[in-house]
Amino acid sequence: MEFLLIALAGFAGSFHCLGMCGGLACALGGDPRGRRATVLRHLTYNTGRVTTYVFLGALAGALGGAIIHHGPSAEPLVAGQRILSIAAGTLMLIMGAQFFGYFRALHRATIGLGGKGVVVSLKSLLAAPGPGAPLAFGVVNGFLPCPLVYAFLAKAAATGAVAPAALTMLCFGLGTLPAMLFTGGVGRLLAPLWRRRGVRLAGGFLLALGTLTLLRGLLPWTLHSMH
Amino acid sequence: MDPPFDALTSPAGALCAHCRLPLGRRPLKRRLHGESGQFCCYGCALAFQVTRGVHEEAEAARLLIRLGVGAFLAMNIMLLSLLLYSSSPWDEPALRQAVHYVLLALATPMLLILGLPFLQQAVAAGRAGHATIDTLISLGAVSAYGYSAWATLTGARHVYFDTMTMVLVLFTLGRYLEAAGRARAMRDLEPLLAPGRQQARVSEPEGESLRPVRDLAAGARVRVLPGERVPVDGHVIEGMSRVDESLMTGEAHPVAKGPGERVLAGSMNGTGPLLVEMEAAGEATRWAAIGRAVAESLRQPSPIQGLADRVATQFIYAVVALAVSVVVFWASQGPFDQALLIGLAVLVVACPCALGLAAPLATSVGVGVALRRGALVRSGAALERLATVRVMLLDKTGTLTAGAPTLRRCAALEGTDERELLRRAAALERGSEHALARGVLAAAHAARVPVTAASDVRATPGGGLCGRFEGEAIATGTRRYLECLGWKPSAAGLAHAATLARGGSTVTWVAWGERIRGLLAFSDQLRPEADEVVGALHRRGLHSVLLSGDRAEAVEAVATSIRVNAWRAACSPEDKRSAVEDLRRRHGPVAAVGDGINDGPLLAAADVGIAIGSATDLAQQAAEIVLPQGGLMRLPWLIELACTVRRTIAVNLAWAFGYNAVALALAAAGHLPPVIAAALMAGSSVLVVWNSLRLERLDRPFTAGMPPVRQATAAAERQPAVADILRD
Repeated sequence: MEFLLIALAGFAGSFHCLGMCGGLACALGGDPRGRRATVLRHLTYNTGRVTTYVFLGALAGALGGAIIHHGPSAEPLVAGQRILSIAAGTLMLIMGAQFFGYFRALHRATIGLGGKGVVVSLKSLLAAPGPGAPLAFGVVNGFLPCPLVYAFLAKAAATGAVAPAALTMLCFGLGTLPAMLFTGGVGRLLAPLWRRRGVRLAGGFLLALGTLTLLRGLLPWTLHSMH
Repeated sequence: MDPPFDALTSPAGALCAHCRLPLGRRPLKRRLHGESGQFCCYGCALAFQVTRGVHEEAEAARLLIRLGVGAFLAMNIMLLSLLLYSSSPWDEPALRQAVHYVLLALATPMLLILGLPFLQQAVAAGRAGHATIDTLISLGAVSAYGYSAWATLTGARHVYFDTMTMVLVLFTLGRYLEAAGRARAMRDLEPLLAPGRQQARVSEPEGESLRPVRDLAAGARVRVLPGERVPVDGHVIEGMSRVDESLMTGEAHPVAKGPGERVLAGSMNGTGPLLVEMEAAGEATRWAAIGRAVAESLRQPSPIQGLADRVATQFIYAVVALAVSVVVFWASQGPFDQALLIGLAVLVVACPCALGLAAPLATSVGVGVALRRGALVRSGAALERLATVRVMLLDKTGTLTAGAPTLRRCAALEGTDERELLRRAAALERGSEHALARGVLAAAHAARVPVTAASDVRATPGGGLCGRFEGEAIATGTRRYLECLGWKPSAAGLAHAATLARGGSTVTWVAWGERIRGLLAFSDQLRPEADEVVGALHRRGLHSVLLSGDRAEAVEAVATSIRVNAWRAACSPEDKRSAVEDLRRRHGPVAAVGDGINDGPLLAAADVGIAIGSATDLAQQAAEIVLPQGGLMRLPWLIELACTVRRTIAVNLAWAFGYNAVALALAAAGHLPPVIAAALMAGSSVLVVWNSLRLERLDRPFTAGMPPVRQATAAAERQPAVADILRD
């Protein structure tokens, strides 16, 4: 249920992605050998991108797990998980609020993180032929700073284990897939108005998920297990 | 206009095509864009292709694709490994075995993609009988892979593909970041390394063509577009622009240039296109000379770095030995795979990458910062020595003074007035090239005294001049010279001359008709900043000594006014040299400042020779540091810079050594996982790069209110006011 929600948020969020990553996907362009080759090219690119997300998710899960198992309580699992949930939920709410125009400075900070050097190296990849280039392009793209990715990484860390964390990021990644495929050579860019609506929608999903995660940390344990 | 590879590809001591640091003993040769280039390390080859290769599509991104695909495989391997470590449902033996095979399938191309460059380097070095950092990395990666592959095939419980892949990815990434930092460090030096491969837009009747500057001769016409560097010395034929000459003259503000005006090679054209006619061959410009000197200075290994390199080479053998013994030891204590991991951590963490970077980076940034302020440092070693100097020897003429005697006083004695005295003296001096003659003529010009030449002028070197003017015999020169010619000075004249001499002036006598008529007193004006510079040297704890070949009175006058610790007058070049020896024995290393022409022996004898404002051929100078004309003010700043560079090198070395030692101990004891070790190692190099790049902040001189060069020069060379000369 929750993973479906994440995928939906990813889908909605991908309208946000169209701003930067969509531009990159467009830059990747079509393949001269025809439509099939173009689709393949973009699938390869997205495979690289989603792999990075899943990898980061697994790392976040392992990190979250490490925090939980070193928690300060007599019932370490419960206390650690709560602290993590509260932290992740708060982070997600902040990121979600960004999409509605709050925390502008923070937004700039997350976007500005080391982006320039990466973009320079990305440019040289675009023109290279062969199946390796779009894959490498996707891999590097996945590491580009993005508030949406950070928010879901926080969510992944909150799961406290590698497998569900990786799954969280996989769902998010798959959610972003349709829109990214749609823009990259297959379709045209969406009108700005629709993009703004999409961004609002992504923010809404983030706020909902963030609240859910936060509540999981705050509500009494009994009530939670009833849920 | 992407410049082709450096012309400096001589086998001995060439520079890396990416970061412009010395190549070292075994450069990495790559054919790129149809030309062969040499790089100091794998990271530089990587960074070069990524940053420069945007236009050259196919080859450019190959390494980045390598890194990307490698990272893709590595991430999948890590992901599976993390799942394998973390959760119980995967603990099914059959499933685990299947996952191991998948890992093997992913890790094999991974080793080929990211490990191959390291392996190739290691093999090449091994053939030459050396071990390098690449040897350590290759040994680690191959042994981890070999063991894991064997474990997979035999169905053992643990495999370590994840460790191997992460070590490779982190090292490749570390190399790339390091190379990017090094290129950044060389950014200031880039315009000075450019002349060797500079191209010029030659304008000919049949059209414009790009040609290497070194092939051009005087008379060629060169077009310089806005934003381009002027490639040749010459004068403007057409066009108007503002030109930034800071690189060549230290002048901070752009200078307006129009037809007929001179432009210097190496200055940056600002606003408009210029057509320039060359005045000298492309190779003969000051820019080209500085470029050669800078390239040479980079090739000179600094003493500290030489030591660090020798230590690092021995270190690698020691590390391999240590790793082997660690594996043997831990294998006797527990399972072999754990022992192997500990050995791998030892290999990885011991890579002395930061050690090799510590000194050359800091020195290069220091030399670059100095150049940006117009100070040319011929070698990193000179900069290092300047930091240890205890005594500063200052030459008087041309260094502390303007070097051109000016007429301070024109004293009429009998039967004439000052104006007449100046008029007659100027008539006699008119044809002379002597420095004092120039002083007289300048004063006559300033006082608007009409000058007509005397006849029958004869000069006696070291004595004076005599001739005929308006029907009378006339002479000017030393007292003894006039006495030889039959003129006797009066008692009053002698007293007056003695007073003037005590004030530090050089006195000449003027006589015509029957009598000695007057005195001309010359002095070499002290540079206005001299006092402040000596004060700044004292504040740094340096001992200042004034040395001069001039008369005692003149030297003493200067010495008292700028308050040096000691002075010595009437020194022959031998005296100066023995003074250097003496001071070195008593106080420590000695630096000498002179004008670079007359003081050659002095500058050569000192530990650091500093020439000021010399336009003579740089290659023939004894000086290791050359300051621009009027650049005396930069001396304290330069010493501060040298000290900071030295401090930075010390910190870098302490960090690199200390870090390696501590990490090595931890790794050998089995407390450091190899992946963390690799991450720390890459971090260490980046830290050393960052620490060296901090030196760029020293661009701002420390002394507040330092006047720009041009103003200082103008003030120093200002003529004494006419009223001063004609008073009395």
